[in-house]
Parts: sequence; structure tokens; C-alpha cells
Amino acid sequence: MLGEFEYLILSAATRLREGAYGAAIRQEIEEATRRGCSIGALYTTLDRLETKGLIKTWMGDPTPQRGGRPKRMVRVTANGIRAASDFYLAVRRVSRGVLWEVNRMALRP
Amino acid sequence: MGSEPNGSPTVKRTCWRLVDILSGMLDADERQAVRGDVAESGESIVRATGDVLGLIVRRQIGLWTEWQPWLALLGVACLAGLSLSRIAFRFNVDLGQQLMAYYTYGVHFGTLLTRQQDMAWLLCLAIALFLWSWTCGFVLGSLSGRAVWLTWSLFYLMVLDSALVRLVLSGNVILRAQPVRLLMAATLPLNPATFLFSLSALWGAFMGVRRRVLPWRAAYVLASAITTFTILVTWMGGWYETAHEVWSSGAWHGVSWTTRLLPFVVVSWPVAYLLAAANRQQTTSAKETT
Repeated sequence: MLGEFEYLILSAATRLREGAYGAAIRQEIEEATRRGCSIGALYTTLDRLETKGLIKTWMGDPTPQRGGRPKRMVRVTANGIRAASDFYLAVRRVSRGVLWEVNRMALRP
Repeated sequence: MGSEPNGSPTVKRTCWRLVDILSGMLDADERQAVRGDVAESGESIVRATGDVLGLIVRRQIGLWTEWQPWLALLGVACLAGLSLSRIAFRFNVDLGQQLMAYYTYGVHFGTLLTRQQDMAWLLCLAIALFLWSWTCGFVLGSLSGRAVWLTWSLFYLMVLDSALVRLVLSGNVILRAQPVRLLMAATLPLNPATFLFSLSALWGAFMGVRRRVLPWRAAYVLASAITTFTILVTWMGGWYETAHEVWSSGAWHGVSWTTRLLPFVVVSWPVAYLLAAANRQQTTSAKETT
């Protein structure tokens, strides 16, 4: 079973397709979660996902916007898609019948 | 690189230079990717420094999930370091006595041995100290990898200070120097033995990180040299014991050769690891060629 942050990375990388690399994935996660995403957390999780065979990474070409430095490109493997899909379905199943918006409203004074 | 922090251009440049230096602790590929990400995201110097530091800390912690840095820390830095510290201390005392007697009175310090015997003992001990320090440094670098800065620092402090700490704790030495002088003595290689040790151990660690394994032939030459000098210093150490026994008419009982050999064996164990690693690599490459 994936962790929450692993799922976020797999989803962001899948959405970005050919443009999935460190900084872009980080931006995608920060926009989606409205929280900061540290480079340390991102890179160590990328390593873990690669070890599990859920993603493949390689060094891309250097670009001028990055001061001539290469990107760490990311591609989600078939196993990665399967794991993210399983996670998503599990979240959907466990959330069935739970109305978060209603519960949130109830919390308001 | 990124958005600039408030302050003078010199401060900004220095801050970004600091981030560059910090990222030097990462692997080459990762360093480039991280520097690029920081440049592209345009984040502040504070966040960039925090990000790079955070990754370095995570990577360093990750290194300690393997057994190799632990073996380097416990086996080399602590165990061999303790023995090496005692040997270096003995070398300093023996050399210091001779130098002081020669420069103050122009005579040979009376150790009950001849001048030639004392010279031979000091020379062999210096060469042995160099070889042990280099080998310990190499194995430390080879096992620790990117954690070498930590294991080497602990090894260095262990060799510099553990013998003195033992003497202070046992009440044989009372420290009266000013704190600054004490701190300098505890952290800087200010005497011949620690200077010799620091240079060779640093060189060894540098080579160990770069090469990881010594070539088979070089490993055997080093092992033979260490064995030879270990036997020599064990044998020569006996000269003092015999001389003191004779001088005291049997009242003094000299230390046995096995007791004299023990610290030298403890400090020599890294050469066994070095030989095993070289043998393994030789066997692997022989299999690959066939």
C-alpha cells in the first residue's frame, strides 16, 4: 500500500507526463495541497518509489532556465499506475457514505 | 539562482555560495538536479538553504541504515582509534624525551638501551604508525562513503584525545592549561605523532572514498609491510622490558610479548578487511573474464 505522499508524487508525475521532473512535481504538489513540499522529502521519496519499481528516473538535458543544470526526469511505470490506482480505489471505498463537506459544516460554530 | 534575499550583493553572493557548497555533500547527479530545481523555483535563500540542508540530513541518515558506516565507526574509529591513540602517545613520550635531552643537554636520554636501539625503535614505530593510520583511514573512507566526514572526525578526536583522557581520568595527569590552549591541544595535531597520524589517515580516507578497494597486489604489499613492522615493534618493545628487568635486578616484571602485541593486532585489523575486499574483487573480475 502506498503512502499519502507517494500517491501525491505518482499522481503529479502521471498528470505531468513528459514534463515530470523534480521542480515541476514539487510545484504541482504544492498547488494541489496548498502546503510546502521540501526537496528532501521529494527526492528521498522518489528514490523509494524507484526502488519499489513504481517509477523510473533519469537525468534529462540541461536547460538555460535552470542555469544549465539537468533535470531529474520521472516516468511512472505500469506497476506505479497499478499501485496509485489501487490506493485511489481504496480511498474511494473507505470514503463511501462519508460526507466531508457536511461534517465540516457541522464543526462550524 | 532563484530570487535574491535582502542585503548587499556580497551577502547574497555569499549566501548562494553557501548553498552551492552545501549541495557539494550530495551525489554529483543529484547535486546538479537540486541546484537546477532551486534555480528554477526562484525560492528565497532561506528556503533554498533549508531545502538543501534537509536533503543532506535525510541522505546522511539514510547512509546509517547500512552496516558499513557502523563497522567504520565502531571497528575503526572507536576500537582501532583507542589503540592507535595509546601507540601515538607512547611515540610522543619516547621521541619527546630524546629530543628534549638532545636539545637541552646535547646527550642521549638514558633509557638503558643504546642510542642505535632507541633510534631503531623510534624509526620503526614512526613507520608503523604511518602504515596503521593510512590503512585505518583507507578502510574508514571505503566503508563510510559519504558519512566519512563524521566517522573520520570521530576517529581523529579518538586518536588525539583518548589516551590523554584516560590519563586525566585515572589522575595521572592534571590539566592546568588555559581552556583555549586545552582546546587547541585537543583538536589540533600539534605533536609529531598526531601530525604524522593526521596526514596519513587523511590521505588514506581520501583514497578510500575514491577507490573503495585497493588492487590485490598493493593490498598484499601493504599487509606484508604492516605484519613486518608489527613484529618489529613488538620485538623492539621487549628491549625496554628486558633492560628494566636487568636494571631492577628482577624486581620489575616486564610485560609479556603477547600483551605488547595485542594493541598492535587491534590496530592492524583493518588490513584484514582490506585484504578480504581486494581478494573478493580479484575473484569477481577473474570470474567475469572467464
